[in-house]
Amino acid sequence: MDLQGQSMTQMHPMKPAPAIFKRNPPIAGEAEAIERAKNGDAEAFSRLYALHKRRVYTLCLRMLGNVSEAEDMTQEAFLHLFRKIGSFRGESAFSTWLHRLTVNLVLMHLRKKGLNLVSLEETINPSDEDTPKRDFGSRDMHLAGSVDRVALERAVALLPPGYRMVFILHDVEGFEHNEIAEMLECSTGNSKSQLHKARLRLREILRRSEGPAPEQQPAQPAFKEAAL
Amino acid sequence: MTDFEFPNFDTMTPAEFESCLPELFANSNGSVSTDPRLQTFLRNNPDCAALVRDLETIAEHAKSLFEPDYEPSDAVWDNIQNKLRQEHPGENNHPVPAKP
Repeated sequence: MDLQGQSMTQMHPMKPAPAIFKRNPPIAGEAEAIERAKNGDAEAFSRLYALHKRRVYTLCLRMLGNVSEAEDMTQEAFLHLFRKIGSFRGESAFSTWLHRLTVNLVLMHLRKKGLNLVSLEETINPSDEDTPKRDFGSRDMHLAGSVDRVALERAVALLPPGYRMVFILHDVEGFEHNEIAEMLECSTGNSKSQLHKARLRLREILRRSEGPAPEQQPAQPAFKEAAL
Repeated sequence: MTDFEFPNFDTMTPAEFESCLPELFANSNGSVSTDPRLQTFLRNNPDCAALVRDLETIAEHAKSLFEPDYEPSDAVWDNIQNKLRQEHPGENNHPVPAKP
């Protein structure tokens, strides 16, 4: 219940998050749909689902790396939205509020699965073996021309969970380190450090993938399909 | 603001540079390579410059992942409707949204 209570607090941010707000400009017709949904308009809620389902699902999928769990959490996020939309006060962009709600639900889900505070910390702080090796690289080999969206998506899916979480929250979703620290219950220094390690690991993965392709290796999906 | 103590940028070693990179990135909004304080060091340490360039490239490309790539199956919406019906049985006035 503590987690739930904390999560509910975090679902109603008291101050706007400028970085997110810049990346989440208001969507045409959204404000009207929110007000109508607050008044119980079923079609308005349907409209909000249509507007945000892909972004919420993609966020869940990237955080969880599993189609089945991502769909479950998308469902939970919109059920929470349906129940709590009356408390949305417009102090941040609606999608910021919805994404924060989603992140908190996913984190609660992960903790319920066994990633409690201690093990989450362990996940965020992998062993030294797991830490990217110091490697400044060679000058004549750099990533600028070789990174594309697909390659990066696949590389992110290969990150250890703790690295992946911080990278997605900061570099993809645009949350600030202090916000991430609050959500993950770690220090801002830890968030900065893990983000840096995540980027170093991604560099390693992307550089490795630039090498000669293994013979007859089939393309791997970025995410696991639903467990049978 | 940060309490982090940066080394002397003119005399630091590559190892010292790497140890303060997380803070440099956090304080520079992702553009370490244009920090005027680091220009001499980066010019004299091209491997460090290459590292910074790669990490900036990764951070820049990460923004492109913000736009969603994936779509949930129709089952998600069906489940939402079913859950709402279960939570509010017999409440005719409670909204159960139609398929979007």
